[in-house]
Amino acid sequence: MSLRRSASAQTIPSSARKPGDHSSRRALWLGLAFASPFIIGFLFLFAYPIAASAFYSFTDFNLFQTPRWVGLDNYSQMFGNPTFWQSLGNTLYLTVIGVPLAIIISLAGAHLLNFPVKGQPLYRALVYLPSIVPIVVGGYLWRWLLNTQYGFLNYFLGLFGIDGPAWLQEPDWTKPAILLMTFWTVGGTTIIYLAALKDVPQELYEAAEIDGAGAWRRFLNVTWPMISPVTLFQVIVTLIAFLQIFTQPFILAQQRLNTPSAGPGGSMLTFAMSLYQNAFAFLKMGYASGMAWILFVLTLVITLIVLATSKKWVHSANN
Amino acid sequence: MKSKWSRRARATALSVSGLMVIAPLAACSTGGGSDGSQGTTTITFSYLWSGPEAESLEKIIADYNASQSEVKVIGVSSPDFQKQLTSMSSSNGSFDISDNFGDVVGSWASKGILAPLDDYNIDMSGFVPSSLTQMKYEGKTYSLPIAIHSQLLMYNKKMFADAGVQVPTTMDELADAALALTKTDSDGNITQLGLGEAAPGATQRMIAAAFGGSWWDKDGQPTPLNDGNIQAMTWYQNLVNKIGPDKIAKFVAGYGQYQSDQDPFFSGKLAMRIDGEWNGVGIPKVAPGLEWGVITIPGASPQYKDTTEVTASTLFIPANSKHKEAAAKFLAYMVSPDAMKAFTVALGNMPALTSLLDSSADYSAIENFSAFADALKSPNAYAPSSAVSAGEYMTDLNKAFDSIASGNETPKKALEQVESRVSSYSK
Repeated sequence: MSLRRSASAQTIPSSARKPGDHSSRRALWLGLAFASPFIIGFLFLFAYPIAASAFYSFTDFNLFQTPRWVGLDNYSQMFGNPTFWQSLGNTLYLTVIGVPLAIIISLAGAHLLNFPVKGQPLYRALVYLPSIVPIVVGGYLWRWLLNTQYGFLNYFLGLFGIDGPAWLQEPDWTKPAILLMTFWTVGGTTIIYLAALKDVPQELYEAAEIDGAGAWRRFLNVTWPMISPVTLFQVIVTLIAFLQIFTQPFILAQQRLNTPSAGPGGSMLTFAMSLYQNAFAFLKMGYASGMAWILFVLTLVITLIVLATSKKWVHSANN
Repeated sequence: MKSKWSRRARATALSVSGLMVIAPLAACSTGGGSDGSQGTTTITFSYLWSGPEAESLEKIIADYNASQSEVKVIGVSSPDFQKQLTSMSSSNGSFDISDNFGDVVGSWASKGILAPLDDYNIDMSGFVPSSLTQMKYEGKTYSLPIAIHSQLLMYNKKMFADAGVQVPTTMDELADAALALTKTDSDGNITQLGLGEAAPGATQRMIAAAFGGSWWDKDGQPTPLNDGNIQAMTWYQNLVNKIGPDKIAKFVAGYGQYQSDQDPFFSGKLAMRIDGEWNGVGIPKVAPGLEWGVITIPGASPQYKDTTEVTASTLFIPANSKHKEAAAKFLAYMVSPDAMKAFTVALGNMPALTSLLDSSADYSAIENFSAFADALKSPNAYAPSSAVSAGEYMTDLNKAFDSIASGNETPKKALEQVESRVSSYSK
């Protein structure tokens, strides 16, 4: 690396570089050649599919035949389809409840893992462990855990005299079941919070203590502002994950014979699941492309709103 | 030094970028079937079956390969519907023959996914007529049935005897039996259910037929608001309401895997369910002590008795196969009497050839087989539509059945919601 740097510095003095110069053109081509794996990958795997999906969203396209231009038909059909609104409602329900709870659980978990107790590395590993279990495997595991007859969860509730619900059969309980499974994998978020907690300068806590601040006041006035940039990152990442949630409800709602399923009364049909069913079960690729763009715009708008509000609650050197 | 380094660096950069492009392209180009040097064409048979069913199929493939040298078949068990579909979307297919169910034929044929079979030398004269209903689209045949299925009311003989309940012969008696055979514990939780479901929507579809209803018109187009459908769903909702939708939901949430030790019918927690002939092989393997019987679904009036839904397991050649001729030869073998018999006997399915169906001696070891076979002859046997919109319609129907069973909607309102969606289905 140093050889390359010294060689180029030696061979192409900066003062000698001019636009249109043969050497600089060669350097440009060389740079592009080195960057070409990314450029080619980006063009074919990102730019083209994104542009294609925008085009397909205005067509009747089934993956096997030439797309037929239908203008805004897919979008008007979408907005008049109760299933579209149900899937959007289910997704927003999961997001509105799931994001704050995931953040709170992660932050509380990080505080617990930050206590200097014996066996701390083991506890940290245990909290992170579910995050490395393949999500499909975890999904099937949770199907059994949530089973009313054979499942551990209702057995556990029964020990306290609580008659557990039919998690995957009662529409009112299916979304809490999805949230439970999602919270099982907050280990990654917890570990990031743990790192953030360790970065908070100790002297701030000492100063707060001298000023007579209790534990809650220290959290509100020291910890929370100091970790707020990390919280902003966590909120945005978790928000996007919830808006795109697919695998957990897909596995929990799965029925025999691969029938497109959505849980009792469609209560587990998320936006991404509905998109998938339209694309790959009903082969309405144009309609599904339109849904993907709606989801993209929705995610973008919500993210921008969060970023706009961040000036008021995220602590930084400039704020 | 300057130019030497630049050339080397440039060459390296170009090589790396070239490899990045070529490597994926090379990976994308699959061998697939290829013509052998001695005139043998190798084809790939990708099938959705797995486990013991796949083992039976592999024996048939081995027999075929040993019987001739023109076509060599490589069997691949790939029980993934999506992989099957996406494999058929490229210009160069990864398999030459595969299987699915009859209800996808119309949708797939309309999109050019399937190759028409009429021009190949396959004898189509001996099939059970009703089994070919789903195989055609706009006058051409796009799939052939290797097995057919009918569904009847299966019941647990011991539970009936213990409760002193007679086998029902009318829909009222069926409702009474379902109530009498449902037991609860001291907390009101169901410990034994009278009538349950095996697959999403199948029970409701067949009960509707028992009331003279139909979910499709003669052209295969959706008719959710048929009077018989609403009567049947009202009957079903009344039954569920008498037991308690919440209690049933809780009991169903405790079901184990279908056809496993924890299957509620196999484990003696379910007295009746509408299910298919394949249980004649499944039950002796998983629950050998289970005493079970089969009756036809009672009709709401005599002209509607003995209804059954006839479906088919099908074989097809994808339009992107490069070896359609060779695949058609193998397909012709698979639907020939010997191969079909070997396959259906192993799986406990019914053969799609009339000659085999009539010589039921080969199938006599399969429990209750003759009852399912006889059901095919009923004038009230029907095949679900394989119209282009079948998948979307079934999904909406299942959602409506959920709303009806949970008591959230009246049957009429739930089915009106389905009707309002029909115009948006794929044409």
